[in-house]
Amino acid sequence: MLRLGYRNLFQSPTRLIVSVGGVALALMLILSLDGILAGSERRMTAYIDNTGADIFVAQSGVRNMHMASSSLPTSVLGDVQSIEGVLDTTPILYLTNVIDVGDQQFLAYIIGVEPEADFGGAWELASGRSTSGAGEIVIDETVAIKAGLGLGDQVDVLGQSFDVVGTAKGTASMINSVAFIGLEDFFRQRGTDETISYLLATVSGEDSPEAVAERIESNVSGVTAMTRGVFSSEEAQIIQDMGSDIVALMNGIGFLIGVAVTGLTIYTATLSRKAEYGMLKALGAKNSHLYITVGWQTVISIGLGLIVALGLTLGLTVIIPLGVPELEMLILPSALVKAATAAGAIALLAAMIPVWQITRVDPAMVFRR
Amino acid sequence: MSVLIALRNLLQDRFRLLLSITGVALAVMLVLILEGFVAGLYLQVGAYLENSPGTMVVTQQGVTNLLGATSLLPADAEREARGIQGVEAVVPLLSQFVILDLHELKQPAYMIGYPLGSGLPAERGGPWSLYAGREPEADDEMVFDRVLAERHSLEVGDRFDVMGREFEIVGLSDGTTSWMTSFFFIPKSAAEDLLLAPGATSLLLVTPDAGADEGQLLQRLAELDGVDALTKTEVIENDTKLLVEVFSAPIRLMAGIAVLVGVLVVGLVIYTATIERFREYGMLKAIGSGNGLLYKLVAVQAAVAAGLGSLGGIALAAALAKLIMIVRPEFLIVLQPSSIVIAFVSGVSMALLAGLLPARSVARLEPAAAFRRAS
Repeated sequence: MLRLGYRNLFQSPTRLIVSVGGVALALMLILSLDGILAGSERRMTAYIDNTGADIFVAQSGVRNMHMASSSLPTSVLGDVQSIEGVLDTTPILYLTNVIDVGDQQFLAYIIGVEPEADFGGAWELASGRSTSGAGEIVIDETVAIKAGLGLGDQVDVLGQSFDVVGTAKGTASMINSVAFIGLEDFFRQRGTDETISYLLATVSGEDSPEAVAERIESNVSGVTAMTRGVFSSEEAQIIQDMGSDIVALMNGIGFLIGVAVTGLTIYTATLSRKAEYGMLKALGAKNSHLYITVGWQTVISIGLGLIVALGLTLGLTVIIPLGVPELEMLILPSALVKAATAAGAIALLAAMIPVWQITRVDPAMVFRR
Repeated sequence: MSVLIALRNLLQDRFRLLLSITGVALAVMLVLILEGFVAGLYLQVGAYLENSPGTMVVTQQGVTNLLGATSLLPADAEREARGIQGVEAVVPLLSQFVILDLHELKQPAYMIGYPLGSGLPAERGGPWSLYAGREPEADDEMVFDRVLAERHSLEVGDRFDVMGREFEIVGLSDGTTSWMTSFFFIPKSAAEDLLLAPGATSLLLVTPDAGADEGQLLQRLAELDGVDALTKTEVIENDTKLLVEVFSAPIRLMAGIAVLVGVLVVGLVIYTATIERFREYGMLKAIGSGNGLLYKLVAVQAAVAAGLGSLGGIALAAALAKLIMIVRPEFLIVLQPSSIVIAFVSGVSMALLAGLLPARSVARLEPAAAFRRAS
């Protein structure tokens, strides 16, 4: 019976291709949306993950950077530096702004960091160098390419002109990019040097970042201290929470499309072999035998669809960044499990349609013209 | 006659037709919902400025939008703006995106710090429609968005933390909700404390004198040190443009996949409907019908399946949009006439594309097929 199902399915290669293609696209819809969100999470936390700090100290109650605001008095700098286990600290100023290049505007997180700081700045340069003095800026390389900017060109940020002295890798996301200027330029622009946004810290080898972060929170008032891992996952949580409804909606639609396409294919494949199924029944085959035949066809279609979907989505993860560098797709094992589960559910539902047909097949039909 | 044959061929198996219409409908619905979601987002983006006083916005130099960038005005910008001829009223605001941790969910919200005083809160940049309660009167009071409050079971009188400080909800506002940009309102002095920025102002909402030349006034305002002056319409357009850039790539990708699925579904249906009638098509060729007639048969079937599917998709999208907005009011899904037309055209294009494969099969069909046994 399995062999019969297999033969029935492969008898019309075009129909099989269309069926597998339809399922693959429906599953690709689910996989690619997950991939876009996972990629966005990674890009969004890139600064936190890569800038070199073990601990991030923010205003009390502030647990994010993206779309958030944090203000700390500069006195916190000395307080944190004196905590046991803290090796080094770097203050940063941060706000969301735009990089103006003529008529073009690019949304960016502007980070003000001391030029000589060992961490807190760009972690990988595509060209040029880090900022070393006033009026200098490092921008993301994709922004530079889009705007046609080279080293030495000028951009306007915070109402002030800056010379591009370097371009950074991996600092652009779907939403925005990160640009680095000197801390003093930022203070000047704000008109005060009494507050900073976040304080970044590294820890000495003997203490765990968790223990030092706890110590900072206990001993310095008005701050929230998080390890890099915690701060990064808090940041990723924004994307997850904001995207969860949309993901659920898209998954639902992708699922329904998958059911419709697979059901349609198996239904037509069964319909065109109705006479043969009637013959099998006339020869004594039970309904259960025929169920196995159509069930097997469904499983093969869906299985192939899942493999093709994975291949297509992996292809997209390579192709999309070539055209849209700030859009990254990342296929996580959890997304694969979800797609496989959806595929299983699609197979189950889609198989019910031909099963329903077979139940109604009359063995006597084989004797009709 | 050809239309009749095509319709009969298509209607011969109604279940298959229903499945194909469903497949196309789902694809069209997906495209429409995606477009509607983005259109709704654009409308929600402008909600605050459209309901706030004045016609002009003074921002920090280089900042040309409200939601995309943080603005901080020079200390004496408000005083200088008030002194400019042609200015009737100036409302200073301190605003900032914040991430609220509500029931372990990260909720982005836009905080508006506005001046307390006499008159309606909307005239001072505060909430324009209060569903319950009153406007804040003290630095630990806030007006919260009604939909967000309902979602998190918050009521007037409840207290929760914003950036480490506790606020009491004294009012709930209507029309301030959005998936990305729900607004909440606190006194400006409270916002200054929260951001450790005494006396700070993000932007000014400027109302010109009746009869004042707005172009000249904008120019005079822009001449102040360290500021930009824009009309509210320009600021809304800039916010929308930024969102377009953010959302266009993933939305296009999703819509593209949906269209491909639609093409496959229609193609599959028409292909199987065609190959099952090969003998009949062969017969038509044998009695002298040209390829033109057979193409027409295939095209009509494809157009009917895609047309009905598109109409079904539009109806489904309208129903789903309504359902989503009832269940989750923070989502605004606007099905614009232009999007509906585009969806319908996409559906018909799907039909044309989908008809290519069966048309090719029919064109290669030999008239002798009519005399062979069906396989």
